[in-house]
Amino acid sequence: MTLNSNEAAIRLGWRPAKIKRAARIPVKCRQRNRFIPIFLITVAILSVLSLFYLEIDWAKMASRLPDVGIVFWDLAHLDFSNMDLVSSSLIETVSIAVLSLLYSLVLGIVFGMLAARNVFRVPVLSVITQSFFTFLRAVPTPVWVLLMLVCLGMGPEAGVAGLCVHTTAFFTKSFAQSFESIPDETIEALEATGANRLSIFINAILPAALPQIVAWAGMRLETNFSECAILGMVGTGGIGYVISNSLQGYDYGTAGVAILLVFLVAYCIERVFVRIKKKFS
Amino acid sequence: MTKRIPLIAHNLKRLYTGFLIAAVLLFFVCSYLTNFNIMTLFANGDAFWEFITEDFLPPALPKSSRIPGILSSVLVTLALAVSATTVAAVLAFFVSLFGSEKVSPFPKAAKFVRGFATFLRNIPALVWAFILFSSLGIGTGVGFVALCITSFAFMVRAFVETMEDVSQDCVESLQAVGATFPQRVAQAILPSCLSGFLSWFLYCVELNIRASTIVGMVGGGGVGLTLFSYIKGFQYDIALSIILLIAVMVIVVDRITSKLRKELLK
Repeated sequence: MTLNSNEAAIRLGWRPAKIKRAARIPVKCRQRNRFIPIFLITVAILSVLSLFYLEIDWAKMASRLPDVGIVFWDLAHLDFSNMDLVSSSLIETVSIAVLSLLYSLVLGIVFGMLAARNVFRVPVLSVITQSFFTFLRAVPTPVWVLLMLVCLGMGPEAGVAGLCVHTTAFFTKSFAQSFESIPDETIEALEATGANRLSIFINAILPAALPQIVAWAGMRLETNFSECAILGMVGTGGIGYVISNSLQGYDYGTAGVAILLVFLVAYCIERVFVRIKKKFS
Repeated sequence: MTKRIPLIAHNLKRLYTGFLIAAVLLFFVCSYLTNFNIMTLFANGDAFWEFITEDFLPPALPKSSRIPGILSSVLVTLALAVSATTVAAVLAFFVSLFGSEKVSPFPKAAKFVRGFATFLRNIPALVWAFILFSSLGIGTGVGFVALCITSFAFMVRAFVETMEDVSQDCVESLQAVGATFPQRVAQAILPSCLSGFLSWFLYCVELNIRASTIVGMVGGGGVGLTLFSYIKGFQYDIALSIILLIAVMVIVVDRITSKLRKELLK
């Protein structure tokens, strides 16, 4: 350890009268955001309060902790005997995810066109569309699926329609943003040639926004797949139904296989899109 | 015929044509696999409208004795999301230090940390909730743990990416003068990445508000459970007012977090 000169002087009992305090170079950043510490403290207080509010019975949970190990051990004993059921429901889940993505891609472009401020230049229209879809987006997907189950009955229709609601709302917002980021000069140039608004949209705005649309779609496919895997648990078919059913029936082997497959598919989708993103940028 | 000038580059055009063909192919394959036909929606259109206009609209208030319970269930959902995200963020911060090859004291283990996080992340929160329900029993605590797991894994990935995006010069120079690992973290990583971390944290709060509603639906408690019980009880008009309540809750939280994010990134 090295002591600096001041400390050494004090320890040895010298008077550091003549030694001027060595000017230190300030390391601290002066322009620190004052807001961050306040924010951190507030979040900490809020979370402690909410933990108390939740009144979770930690002792009971801790006493059951060994059970978690047992369940995972059971899940790890993969049971491939129901493989045909698992694989067919997995295919169903993937197709529902893809179908809802494609339908909402089309719907999203149409509604995004209405919601973007620079396409039709009717502010009322875009405000109404945006606020309506903000509402749709704020409600979680399973709620929509549950309602669709009520009107359409069991089957893939309810899944596709329910997923479409949320996905379309998401696409509308993000596509409208991409459309609005198109420079005004382009649009004005076409306006000057006398093109009508629809052809401006199709010939100038849409092609310019295509790379972003593809990127959003890729991002959304990941979410849609995991949402879709969830949906089975609230009542539609698919892999989620297999998972929840076999977990409730203590058939852990099948559930393990299904969970593993969900993980693998989600992982593959993620990897593929990371690759594509790298290629684009 | 006059020769037309192509508006987009040739290779880009090929790429988009490829995407279009892939989309159309996927569409037909998936429609065939699920027997889904958009026309059934239109064929059921009458039943659909009837449902919306008769059962669903107008939104009805539940009995006045139930209202305090519903409001407190909203609070449970909010509390669940905030506390689970905070706990997960604190854990994720420490773990993510070991997940980046350039920062971690054990660079060889970084891959395993990230792989573990990828595994946790790619299994949806609800699946975790179901696995935990079958071992820990139904309750708010399980919802808390399930939310923690996924948001922890999500934030590990986001934090590692934030750390790798920020310039590594600072870390390297501190390493060169012999700073220890905690010193490097406190002096180089925290000041440069903290606002990035916090903005991811806020994003995760937004996600978790929705996720905690969903986890609540299958037994985690909160407003999701209330909504689910009304839907199961065929009281759709009351369910609609709860849906509106959820939407308001989510929109308000989104507004607050976007304000906070602007303030943090200033």
